[in-house]
Amino acid sequence: MIEGFRLGVFSRGTTLWDGLDFAFGDAAAWLVAGPPSSGKTLLLSILRGERRPDAGDVVVSGESLYRGNPALARAWRASCGHVPEQAIADARLTVGDLFRRSALAGGGVRESERKDRTDRLLEMVGLPGALEWRIAELSISERVRACLAAELLRGPKVLFCDGVVAGAGIPSREMLWGLFRALAREGNTVVLAERTIPERWALAAGEAEPVGPFRVYRLPVPGAVKGEPG
Amino acid sequence: MSGQPSLWWIDWRLSRAPLVRETIGRFLFLCLLGFALLSLLLSGGASRFLADRYAITAVLRAGVPAAEAEGLARKVAALPPVRSAAYRDPEAAWKEFLRAYPGLDPLRDAGGNPMPGYIEVRMRPDRLTGADVAFVGSALRSVSHVEQVLAGEEWLPRQLRAGRLASGACWGIFGAFLAGFFVVGRLQERARAVALAGDFAFLAERGVPSGRLAFFRAAGAAVSGFLLAATGTAAGGGALLLSLRTFPSLEGVIGPPSDLLLPRTVVAVALFACGAALLSAAASLLGWRAARSGRK
Repeated sequence: MIEGFRLGVFSRGTTLWDGLDFAFGDAAAWLVAGPPSSGKTLLLSILRGERRPDAGDVVVSGESLYRGNPALARAWRASCGHVPEQAIADARLTVGDLFRRSALAGGGVRESERKDRTDRLLEMVGLPGALEWRIAELSISERVRACLAAELLRGPKVLFCDGVVAGAGIPSREMLWGLFRALAREGNTVVLAERTIPERWALAAGEAEPVGPFRVYRLPVPGAVKGEPG
Repeated sequence: MSGQPSLWWIDWRLSRAPLVRETIGRFLFLCLLGFALLSLLLSGGASRFLADRYAITAVLRAGVPAAEAEGLARKVAALPPVRSAAYRDPEAAWKEFLRAYPGLDPLRDAGGNPMPGYIEVRMRPDRLTGADVAFVGSALRSVSHVEQVLAGEEWLPRQLRAGRLASGACWGIFGAFLAGFFVVGRLQERARAVALAGDFAFLAERGVPSGRLAFFRAAGAAVSGFLLAATGTAAGGGALLLSLRTFPSLEGVIGPPSDLLLPRTVVAVALFACGAALLSAAASLLGWRAARSGRK
């Protein structure tokens, strides 16, 4: 369980938001929708333990990320995957480099296992044989999918995705819908930050919980009472 | 997650091609430094050159029996600063004289061999100092069989001072190249840290402490620096051995090839490799710090 208590952020000389409470249960896929410049990326940074909130605290499995043991915060970050909104900084790399780096962060991933899983993940996100492609030569959609696949290589317990659904594009939505729900079904937690939620996803998720400038949706996992998007 | 990631050789695992280029460059540079280091160690700067050309001559009195003169030479050779002491009987001295001044044979016709016997004393290169020369000279003068000791005491101090200056200059140049190795290494480490900044940020975001990254990078640099210095010096030693075998005249300046395996030479090379390891680690840490702070 990831909980944010009375979270507040002061940015650009003003209060972006304050006093927000969040609760993201385990083994579920969550989507936080919010307008541009509402602080979605910032919220994900705070939840990942990267950026200390100006007010409030984040508690993961009963331990404070910012007021507790720093080693626990590091262990939490190590258990998280993160797909950023854009990957311009990685433009010099190849898709294979992303996987190599991700495996390095994971530690203990054997070379043969890495190659096998890399091929399967690239195929899953619709990029088979893209290992040698340079990030600079990929489209935004391809970059997002490549980064997502690279993060999944480590098998993170919690996956934070910033603008992945929008970045991946409409043709990849069905794949992402199935992927996120499958991850949740396997006991992982997925937190997505998007400007808007795809209409069909919203229909399947049902009523959103408004939190400050955000609307928080819980995506249905297979077998749940909520319906499938058609 | 399957555990704490291993950060050994992280640069190698993230970016191989630039590291291979840098490593080849460092190895070649360390080969040259190793060659220079061994040459300096064996030659002692200018000491061996001077010692090869300097000798103390103890002129013996007329009528000293050859057996006693040879015994005296053996005693002198046993003195710590002395490398060798050889007795030349009057006949050998006369032949040497004639080789140096041909055409003076008639001198002998007047009244026999006019040349006295003498002992030629050669100093160890590392003991060729004013004090040791004075010590040997006074030891020889105290012997009743010795009539005169020719040690060049009036000009030797100037030669020794010039030799020390030359040695200092040689070591200074070596030190400058070593400093150059450090500066270039630091720049390379900085450039690599900048190039890999995205990867390091990626790892830091995923719970890898920056200090741990810096430590393992420096440790990797130290280990590779040690191995490169050791193998580079070994390669430089091989080149020096080949040079000495090809040009035996160099032995008079540098020394015999057997000195390459003396314990003190091996210890000095080990210390050099440790120094290179420390410099490499320091260059890595400074390069890392400069890259993170954005300074040049």
